[in-house]
Amino acid sequence: MFDLILKNITQRKLRTGLTVFGIALGIFAVIVMGGMSEHFNITFDRSISLTADKIRVLPEGGFFGASLNGSTVREVRRIPGVADAYGMLQAPLDPESLGFFGGDTVIGIPPEKLGSALKDTKLTQGRLLITGDGYRAVVGSSVAREFNLKIGDEIEIKSKRALRTTSITNTRNFTVVGILEYTGSFFDNSVAVPLDRAQKFYDRGDTVSLILAVPDPSADPEELSKRIALDVEKITTFSPAELKKQIEQSLVVFSLITISAAVLAAIIGGLSVMNTMLMSVSERTKEFGLMKALGAETRDILFMTMGEAAFMGILGGIFGIIGGGALVYYLNNYLASRGTVLFDITPRLLVIAIVFATLLGVLSGTYPAYRAAKMSPMEALRYE
Amino acid sequence: MSEPILRVRGLSKTYMQGKIPVHALSDVTFDVERGEFLSIVGPSGSGKSTLLSMIGLLDKPTGGSVFIEDIEITRASESDAPRIRREKIGFIFQHFNLIPTLTALENVDIAMRFARVPKNKRKKTAIELLTQMGIGDRINHKPSELSGGEQQRVAIARALANHPAIILADEPTGEVDTKTRDMIVGLLKGLSEEGHTILIVTHDTAVSQQTERIITMRDGGIASDKQVDRGVSRNPG
Repeated sequence: MFDLILKNITQRKLRTGLTVFGIALGIFAVIVMGGMSEHFNITFDRSISLTADKIRVLPEGGFFGASLNGSTVREVRRIPGVADAYGMLQAPLDPESLGFFGGDTVIGIPPEKLGSALKDTKLTQGRLLITGDGYRAVVGSSVAREFNLKIGDEIEIKSKRALRTTSITNTRNFTVVGILEYTGSFFDNSVAVPLDRAQKFYDRGDTVSLILAVPDPSADPEELSKRIALDVEKITTFSPAELKKQIEQSLVVFSLITISAAVLAAIIGGLSVMNTMLMSVSERTKEFGLMKALGAETRDILFMTMGEAAFMGILGGIFGIIGGGALVYYLNNYLASRGTVLFDITPRLLVIAIVFATLLGVLSGTYPAYRAAKMSPMEALRYE
Repeated sequence: MSEPILRVRGLSKTYMQGKIPVHALSDVTFDVERGEFLSIVGPSGSGKSTLLSMIGLLDKPTGGSVFIEDIEITRASESDAPRIRREKIGFIFQHFNLIPTLTALENVDIAMRFARVPKNKRKKTAIELLTQMGIGDRINHKPSELSGGEQQRVAIARALANHPAIILADEPTGEVDTKTRDMIVGLLKGLSEEGHTILIVTHDTAVSQQTERIITMRDGGIASDKQVDRGVSRNPG
């Protein structure tokens, strides 16, 4: 029967082509949007796993609320169960070109704590920050690639301060002393510099953006997180589990938006299969009547018509994956040169795309196939 | 006399045209013996095509029964109907009804596909049948590349493919010129001499005169039933 299915499909080249194109566009959207969603999932997963052992302490009201300072850090460190605590200052590398998807970040951190913050991340070149480092920086792999940095190169960091109606931009060069390996996390887009230099450069006194608290191996991070929140004023804490939960929630929304846009596109493709199959079935009414008169079983006709629809679905899926894959490949290459990567085509996404395309074809073919199979041979043969 | 291969008993068909019942067939009864070559004639609307579609299991009667080789096909369930159509009945249509996208060979092959005949055997049988029909050199041509006579010969080969008990031909010469008509009737006659049972519905007396027996229909019933050679009238019912 497969030869008959192929024959029918290739017989109507333009129509088949347009239908396959419709499905391919839908699957293209699934790949591109899904690829973006997958990338974010992976990045967050890796980032969380890198900081999974630490409790985040943020100012009450988040990043834009009251700021944390050195005394808050000391307060946190004094709480029983906290092995260590240190503040970090975060700021955009270039405040004048803030990308939608973040972009590069400067992290001011006490030099001796960088190793703890990066956990087991290795360096590809150079060294980590050490106590006493001045305007030195350890850069993430994407930053290094974006600015084509080697050990000893200078990286320019900008700050912007509002002053009445105007703003003043300061710049300062930092010398690269280390380059991190690729982690697939936010660290790839980070420039780590000594906290004191960052506070001075950004004119932030002794304030920090967040505090990382490392629990004692014997302490329960959830309990400790609650205790910190109770004991220290004007802060909120996120235990690793809470952070994960919160990020997952926002990722779900993001995934829902991207995936539903893609699914919508694919469903439109599916409707085009249904339209084509309905036309094809009504054109071949007489043919199906004849087949029944010749003794075709209902399942023969169902198999033929559903087979055609499924085949178009699979074909559209393959083209969609190739097209989406190509776009993602070029976009990732282009974006990598600008220091970021937006898409990840995972095996899971490929399986979803091809299964979805096939299902779409089969489901859209069901009604036309049912109509063809249920035709009375007598009526069908009379049909002109 | 041999046993009847086809028995039609009290067959009736009533359509509703709006609220008015139309009796397309009423109480039709006759037998057909194995190897018989008979024609059913009559004016338009006399019920001959309706009769053929009941025998061919394309339509359900409102009353009566049809038996082919002692199986009451009119009681066949929806799921049994395809098998009966494949095994018992071979159709030849006025408009040939070949599938335009398939070649002559594939048009014969497809009937055997539904009967789940293995591929090698299908091809062999199809070539044999088309050669027997005298178009062995045209097997890879599509219907649009064949003349009317050639198309009808493909259709006859297709009807024979599954060795049916009866071949039903609905105006098989309605679309061809007289020369082709004679050739087609000659072919059908030859098949009947080989033992095939053939029922032809026709308007054309030149065709019916070639058959052994003529059933004339009028107003949904049998008006006369005559053996052509002997000119003996049979009892209609």
